[in-house]
Amino acid sequence: MTGAEWLPPRSRGVIALIEENCTSCMLCARECPAWCIHIDSRQETLPSATGRGRDTTRNVLERFAIDYSLCMYCSICVEVCPFDALHWSPEYAYAEGDIRELTHEKDRLREWMWTVPPPPTLDEHAEPAKEIAAAEKAARRSRR
Amino acid sequence: MTGSTWLARVEAAYVGAAVEEEFGLLSVDVPPDRWTDAVTVARESLGCTFFDWLSAVDELEEGFRVVCHLAARRTGAVEHLVVRTRIPRDHPVVASVAGVFGGARWHERETHEMFGIEFTEDGAVLPLEGLLLPEEFEGHPLRKDFVLASRVARPWPGAKEPGESDERPRAARARRRALPPGVPDPGQWPGSTTQDEP
Repeated sequence: MTGAEWLPPRSRGVIALIEENCTSCMLCARECPAWCIHIDSRQETLPSATGRGRDTTRNVLERFAIDYSLCMYCSICVEVCPFDALHWSPEYAYAEGDIRELTHEKDRLREWMWTVPPPPTLDEHAEPAKEIAAAEKAARRSRR
Repeated sequence: MTGSTWLARVEAAYVGAAVEEEFGLLSVDVPPDRWTDAVTVARESLGCTFFDWLSAVDELEEGFRVVCHLAARRTGAVEHLVVRTRIPRDHPVVASVAGVFGGARWHERETHEMFGIEFTEDGAVLPLEGLLLPEEFEGHPLRKDFVLASRVARPWPGAKEPGESDERPRAARARRRALPPGVPDPGQWPGSTTQDEP
Protein backbone atom coordinates (compact mmCIF):
# COMPACT_ATOMS: atom_id res chain seq x y z
CA MET A 1 0.00 0.00 0.00
CA THR A 2 2.60 2.57 1.01
CA GLY A 3 5.78 0.55 0.97
CA ALA A 4 5.35 -0.73 4.51
CA GLU A 5 5.75 -4.34 3.35
CA TRP A 6 9.50 -4.36 4.00
CA LEU A 7 9.02 -3.46 7.66
CA PRO A 8 9.26 -6.07 10.44
CA PRO A 9 5.84 -7.68 11.11
CA ARG A 10 5.46 -6.20 14.59
CA SER A 11 6.17 -2.60 13.52
CA ARG A 12 3.96 -0.02 15.22
CA GLY A 13 2.68 2.05 12.33
CA VAL A 14 -0.98 2.60 13.06
CA ILE A 15 -3.61 0.98 15.30
CA ALA A 16 -6.46 -0.84 13.59
CA LEU A 17 -9.84 -1.61 15.14
CA ILE A 18 -12.15 -4.61 14.73
CA GLU A 19 -15.35 -2.94 15.75
CA GLU A 20 -17.19 -6.24 16.26
CA ASN A 21 -14.74 -7.29 18.96
CA CYS A 22 -15.07 -4.05 20.92
CA THR A 23 -17.40 -4.20 23.93
CA SER A 24 -16.82 -0.49 24.75
CA CYS A 25 -15.44 -1.55 28.13
CA MET A 26 -13.34 1.67 28.25
CA LEU A 27 -10.18 -0.14 29.38
CA CYS A 28 -8.02 1.23 26.52
CA ALA A 29 -9.31 4.79 27.00
CA ARG A 30 -8.55 4.61 30.71
CA GLU A 31 -5.09 3.10 30.35
CA CYS A 32 -3.99 5.43 27.54
CA PRO A 33 -1.28 7.69 29.03
CA ALA A 34 -1.69 10.21 26.21
CA TRP A 35 -5.50 10.49 26.61
CA CYS A 36 -5.91 9.98 22.87
CA ILE A 37 -8.69 7.35 22.70
CA HIS A 38 -12.28 8.60 22.63
CA ILE A 39 -15.16 6.18 23.00
CA ASP A 40 -18.90 6.85 22.99
CA SER A 41 -21.37 4.04 23.46
CA ARG A 42 -25.02 3.57 24.32
CA GLN A 43 -26.93 0.92 26.24
CA GLU A 44 -29.42 -1.14 24.36
CA THR A 45 -32.01 -3.35 26.00
CA LEU A 46 -32.78 -6.69 24.39
CA PRO A 47 -35.93 -8.54 25.35
CA SER A 48 -35.16 -11.95 26.76
CA ALA A 49 -35.00 -14.70 24.16
CA THR A 50 -37.52 -16.95 25.82
CA GLY A 51 -39.97 -14.19 26.60
CA ARG A 52 -40.04 -15.21 30.26
CA GLY A 53 -36.59 -14.25 31.56
CA ARG A 54 -35.24 -10.83 32.35
CA ASP A 55 -34.33 -8.34 29.61
CA THR A 56 -30.62 -8.07 28.91
CA THR A 57 -28.68 -4.89 28.25
CA ARG A 58 -25.62 -4.56 26.08
CA ASN A 59 -23.33 -1.68 25.12
CA VAL A 60 -23.29 -0.57 21.50
CA LEU A 61 -20.28 1.32 20.22
CA GLU A 62 -21.14 4.70 18.71
CA ARG A 63 -17.79 6.36 18.36
CA PHE A 64 -14.23 5.05 18.58
CA ALA A 65 -11.52 7.53 17.66
CA ILE A 66 -7.76 7.62 18.11
CA ASP A 67 -6.05 11.01 17.97
CA TYR A 68 -2.70 10.28 16.33
CA SER A 69 -1.49 13.80 17.05
CA LEU A 70 -1.34 12.71 20.71
CA CYS A 71 -0.68 8.96 20.46
CA MET A 72 2.82 7.99 21.57
CA TYR A 73 2.73 4.48 20.10
CA CYS A 74 3.25 2.82 23.49
CA SER A 75 0.95 -0.13 22.61
CA ILE A 76 -0.70 -0.22 26.03
CA CYS A 77 -4.20 -0.11 24.47
CA VAL A 78 -3.40 -3.04 22.17
CA GLU A 79 -2.09 -5.05 25.09
CA VAL A 80 -4.87 -4.18 27.54
CA CYS A 81 -7.75 -4.99 25.17
CA PRO A 82 -9.34 -8.19 26.53
CA PHE A 83 -11.16 -8.95 23.27
CA ASP A 84 -8.41 -8.38 20.66
CA ALA A 85 -10.21 -5.46 19.07
CA LEU A 86 -7.01 -3.44 18.54
CA HIS A 87 -4.11 -4.51 16.34
CA TRP A 88 -0.90 -2.95 15.07
CA SER A 89 -0.49 -2.33 11.38
CA PRO A 90 2.92 -1.39 9.95
CA GLU A 91 1.39 1.37 7.78
CA TYR A 92 2.98 4.65 8.74
CA ALA A 93 2.21 7.05 5.90
CA TYR A 94 -0.81 9.02 7.09
CA ALA A 95 0.57 12.51 7.53
CA GLU A 96 -1.99 15.30 7.18
CA GLY A 97 -1.95 19.01 6.42
CA ASP A 98 -4.53 19.67 9.13
CA ILE A 99 -3.97 18.34 12.65
CA ARG A 100 -7.70 17.58 13.06
CA GLU A 101 -7.44 14.99 10.28
CA LEU A 102 -5.10 12.97 12.51
CA THR A 103 -8.08 11.88 14.61
CA HIS A 104 -9.08 8.63 12.93
CA GLU A 105 -12.69 7.67 13.51
CA LYS A 106 -13.84 4.05 13.62
CA ASP A 107 -14.42 3.65 9.86
CA ARG A 108 -10.86 4.69 9.15
CA LEU A 109 -9.51 2.55 11.99
CA ARG A 110 -11.40 -0.41 10.52
CA GLU A 111 -9.83 0.24 7.08
CA TRP A 112 -6.38 -0.15 8.65
CA MET A 113 -7.39 -3.68 9.69
CA TRP A 114 -6.86 -4.91 6.11
CA THR A 115 -3.18 -3.95 6.40
CA VAL A 116 -2.55 -5.90 9.64
CA PRO A 117 -0.13 -8.73 8.86
CA PRO A 118 -0.87 -12.28 10.04
CA PRO A 119 0.89 -13.13 13.31
CA PRO A 120 4.43 -14.46 12.76
CA THR A 121 4.72 -18.23 12.68
CA LEU A 122 5.71 -19.93 15.90
CA ASP A 123 9.25 -21.10 16.54
CA GLU A 124 9.97 -24.80 16.13
CA HIS A 125 8.80 -26.81 19.21
CA ALA A 126 7.01 -23.75 20.59
CA GLU A 127 3.87 -24.27 22.64
CA PRO A 128 0.80 -23.98 20.38
CA ALA A 129 -1.58 -21.08 20.86
CA LYS A 130 -4.01 -21.54 23.77
CA GLU A 131 -7.00 -21.09 21.44
CA ILE A 132 -5.86 -23.99 19.25
CA ALA A 133 -5.22 -26.23 22.25
CA ALA A 134 -8.69 -25.42 23.61
CA ALA A 135 -10.36 -26.11 20.25
CA GLU A 136 -8.55 -29.43 19.86
CA LYS A 137 -9.54 -30.47 23.36
CA ALA A 138 -13.18 -29.63 22.61
CA ALA A 139 -13.03 -31.58 19.36
CA ARG A 140 -11.64 -34.66 21.14
CA ARG A 141 -14.36 -34.45 23.73
CA SER A 142 -17.15 -34.30 21.15
CA ARG A 143 -15.71 -37.31 19.27
CA ARG A 144 -15.89 -39.48 22.36
CA MET B 1 44.93 -1.15 38.71
CA THR B 2 44.51 -3.47 35.74
CA GLY B 3 43.31 -6.92 36.60
CA SER B 4 40.77 -5.91 39.26
CA THR B 5 37.15 -5.67 38.16
CA TRP B 6 35.27 -2.39 37.79
CA LEU B 7 33.03 -3.37 40.72
CA ALA B 8 36.04 -4.00 42.97
CA ARG B 9 37.59 -0.69 41.97
CA VAL B 10 34.37 1.23 42.61
CA GLU B 11 33.91 -0.47 45.99
CA ALA B 12 37.50 0.35 46.95
CA ALA B 13 37.02 3.99 45.96
CA TYR B 14 33.79 4.39 47.98
CA VAL B 15 34.42 2.62 51.27
CA GLY B 16 31.31 2.70 53.43
CA ALA B 17 28.95 3.75 50.62
CA ALA B 18 26.35 1.42 49.13
CA VAL B 19 27.41 0.17 45.69
CA GLU B 20 24.65 -1.53 43.73
CA GLU B 21 24.59 -3.27 40.40
CA GLU B 22 21.30 -2.88 38.55
CA PHE B 23 20.79 -3.96 34.94
CA GLY B 24 24.55 -4.18 34.45
CA LEU B 25 25.09 -0.61 35.64
CA LEU B 26 26.96 0.25 38.83
CA SER B 27 25.52 2.94 41.07
CA VAL B 28 26.83 4.35 44.32
CA ASP B 29 24.65 6.13 46.90
CA VAL B 30 26.35 8.85 48.90
CA PRO B 31 25.05 11.24 51.56
CA PRO B 32 24.33 14.76 50.22
CA ASP B 33 27.19 16.38 52.16
CA ARG B 34 29.66 14.13 50.28
CA TRP B 35 28.15 14.80 46.83
CA THR B 36 30.97 16.91 45.37
CA ASP B 37 33.61 14.66 46.98
CA ALA B 38 31.99 11.58 45.48
CA VAL B 39 32.02 13.05 41.96
CA THR B 40 35.64 14.19 42.45
CA VAL B 41 36.66 10.69 43.57
CA ALA B 42 35.08 9.24 40.42
CA ARG B 43 37.13 11.56 38.25
CA GLU B 44 40.43 11.40 40.16
CA SER B 45 40.59 7.79 41.40
CA LEU B 46 38.40 5.91 38.92
CA GLY B 47 39.33 7.76 35.75
CA CYS B 48 35.72 8.79 35.03
CA THR B 49 36.74 11.69 32.82
CA PHE B 50 33.53 11.68 30.80
CA PHE B 51 30.58 13.52 32.35
CA ASP B 52 27.43 12.27 30.62
CA TRP B 53 24.51 13.89 32.42
CA LEU B 54 23.09 15.04 35.73
CA SER B 55 19.41 15.10 36.64
CA ALA B 56 17.00 14.24 39.43
CA VAL B 57 14.07 11.94 40.23
CA ASP B 58 11.05 13.04 42.26
CA GLU B 59 10.58 10.27 44.83
CA LEU B 60 7.65 12.02 46.56
CA GLU B 61 7.85 11.86 50.37
CA GLU B 62 11.33 10.34 50.18
CA GLY B 63 12.61 13.55 48.61
CA PHE B 64 14.58 14.07 45.41
CA ARG B 65 17.29 11.80 44.17
CA VAL B 66 20.03 13.67 42.35
CA VAL B 67 21.68 11.42 39.80
CA CYS B 68 24.86 11.84 37.80
CA HIS B 69 26.14 9.49 35.09
CA LEU B 70 29.90 9.30 34.51
CA ALA B 71 32.03 7.09 32.30
CA ALA B 72 35.64 5.97 32.21
CA ARG B 73 37.25 5.16 28.90
CA ARG B 74 39.78 2.41 28.61
CA THR B 75 41.15 0.62 25.56
CA GLY B 76 38.31 -1.19 23.84
CA ALA B 77 35.68 -0.53 26.47
CA VAL B 78 33.80 2.06 28.51
CA GLU B 79 33.03 1.67 32.21
CA HIS B 80 29.92 3.38 33.55
CA LEU B 81 29.16 4.74 36.99
CA VAL B 82 26.03 6.38 38.37
CA VAL B 83 26.52 8.53 41.47
CA ARG B 84 23.35 9.26 43.45
CA THR B 85 22.30 11.17 46.51
CA ARG B 86 18.95 11.90 48.12
CA ILE B 87 17.91 15.30 49.42
CA PRO B 88 14.79 16.19 51.43
CA ARG B 89 11.74 17.60 49.66
CA ASP B 90 11.29 20.57 52.01
CA HIS B 91 14.94 21.61 51.66
CA PRO B 92 16.07 20.62 48.13
CA VAL B 93 19.63 21.90 48.18
CA VAL B 94 22.80 20.14 47.05
CA ALA B 95 26.35 21.24 46.30
CA SER B 96 27.26 22.01 42.70
CA VAL B 97 29.67 19.75 40.81
CA ALA B 98 30.42 22.36 38.15
CA GLY B 99 33.82 22.82 39.82
CA VAL B 100 34.63 19.18 38.96
CA PHE B 101 33.04 19.05 35.52
CA GLY B 102 32.40 22.46 33.99
CA GLY B 103 29.76 21.04 31.66
CA ALA B 104 27.63 20.05 34.65
CA ARG B 105 26.43 23.65 34.94
CA TRP B 106 24.04 23.16 32.00
CA HIS B 107 22.55 20.11 33.65
CA GLU B 108 22.27 21.84 37.00
CA ARG B 109 20.41 24.72 35.38
CA GLU B 110 17.99 22.29 33.81
CA THR B 111 17.56 20.36 37.07
CA HIS B 112 17.02 23.63 38.93
CA GLU B 113 14.34 24.65 36.45
CA MET B 114 12.57 21.29 36.19
CA PHE B 115 12.68 20.21 39.86
CA GLY B 116 13.29 23.43 41.80
CA ILE B 117 16.50 22.05 43.28
CA GLU B 118 19.04 24.64 44.44
CA PHE B 119 22.76 24.17 43.83
CA THR B 120 25.35 25.73 46.09
CA GLU B 121 28.98 26.68 45.70
CA ASP B 122 30.98 27.25 48.90
CA GLY B 123 27.72 27.22 50.83
CA ALA B 124 26.10 30.00 48.77
CA VAL B 125 23.05 29.23 46.62
CA LEU B 126 23.86 29.82 42.95
CA PRO B 127 21.54 32.20 41.05
CA LEU B 128 20.87 29.76 38.20
CA GLU B 129 19.15 31.03 35.08
CA GLY B 130 16.41 29.09 33.32
CA LEU B 131 17.32 27.01 30.33
CA LEU B 132 14.35 25.66 28.40
CA LEU B 133 11.14 27.11 29.83
CA PRO B 134 9.71 30.51 28.92
CA GLU B 135 10.47 33.26 31.42
CA GLU B 136 6.91 33.63 32.66
CA PHE B 137 6.54 29.89 33.33
CA GLU B 138 5.57 29.07 36.89
CA GLY B 139 6.32 25.84 38.70
CA HIS B 140 8.64 22.91 38.20
CA PRO B 141 7.17 20.62 35.55
CA LEU B 142 9.10 17.44 36.40
CA ARG B 143 7.85 17.41 39.97
CA LYS B 144 5.18 14.78 40.37
CA ASP B 145 2.73 17.22 41.97
CA PHE B 146 2.89 19.53 38.94
CA VAL B 147 -0.36 19.53 36.95
CA LEU B 148 0.12 19.71 33.18
CA ALA B 149 -2.00 22.36 31.44
CA SER B 150 -3.14 19.79 28.87
CA ARG B 151 -4.59 17.67 31.70
CA VAL B 152 -6.69 20.60 32.92
CA ALA B 153 -7.85 22.02 29.59
CA ARG B 154 -9.58 18.84 28.44
CA PRO B 155 -11.66 16.23 30.27
CA TRP B 156 -10.28 12.73 30.66
CA PRO B 157 -11.73 10.48 27.93
CA GLY B 158 -11.69 7.51 30.33
CA ALA B 159 -14.16 9.14 32.75
CA LYS B 160 -17.11 7.77 30.79
CA GLU B 161 -18.59 4.46 31.83
CA PRO B 162 -19.35 1.76 29.25
CA GLY B 163 -22.65 2.64 27.63
CA GLU B 164 -22.11 6.37 28.12
CA SER B 165 -21.47 9.04 25.50
CA ASP B 166 -20.72 12.76 25.48
CA GLU B 167 -24.25 13.59 24.32
CA ARG B 168 -26.00 11.38 26.84
CA PRO B 169 -24.15 11.28 30.12
CA ARG B 170 -25.71 8.75 32.43
CA ALA B 171 -27.58 10.47 35.22
CA ALA B 172 -27.36 7.91 37.96
CA ARG B 173 -23.89 6.66 38.79
CA ALA B 174 -23.76 3.18 40.16
CA ARG B 175 -20.08 3.43 41.02
CA ARG B 176 -17.62 6.10 42.01
CA ARG B 177 -16.22 7.94 39.02
CA ALA B 178 -12.93 6.50 37.80
CA LEU B 179 -9.95 8.84 38.08
CA PRO B 180 -7.12 9.23 35.57
CA PRO B 181 -3.99 7.43 36.78
CA GLY B 182 -0.91 9.53 37.45
CA VAL B 183 -2.75 12.86 37.57
CA PRO B 184 -2.87 14.66 40.94
CA ASP B 185 -6.32 14.69 42.53
CA PRO B 186 -8.36 17.70 41.23
CA GLY B 187 -9.16 18.79 44.79
CA GLN B 188 -5.46 19.34 45.39
CA TRP B 189 -4.66 21.29 42.23
CA PRO B 190 -3.18 24.65 43.03
CA GLY B 191 -5.73 27.43 42.55
CA SER B 192 -8.53 24.92 42.06
CA THR B 193 -12.02 25.89 43.17
CA THR B 194 -13.74 22.63 42.35
CA GLN B 195 -13.73 20.03 45.05
CA ASP B 196 -14.39 16.32 44.64
CA GLU B 197 -17.76 15.52 43.19
CA PRO B 198 -20.07 14.06 45.82
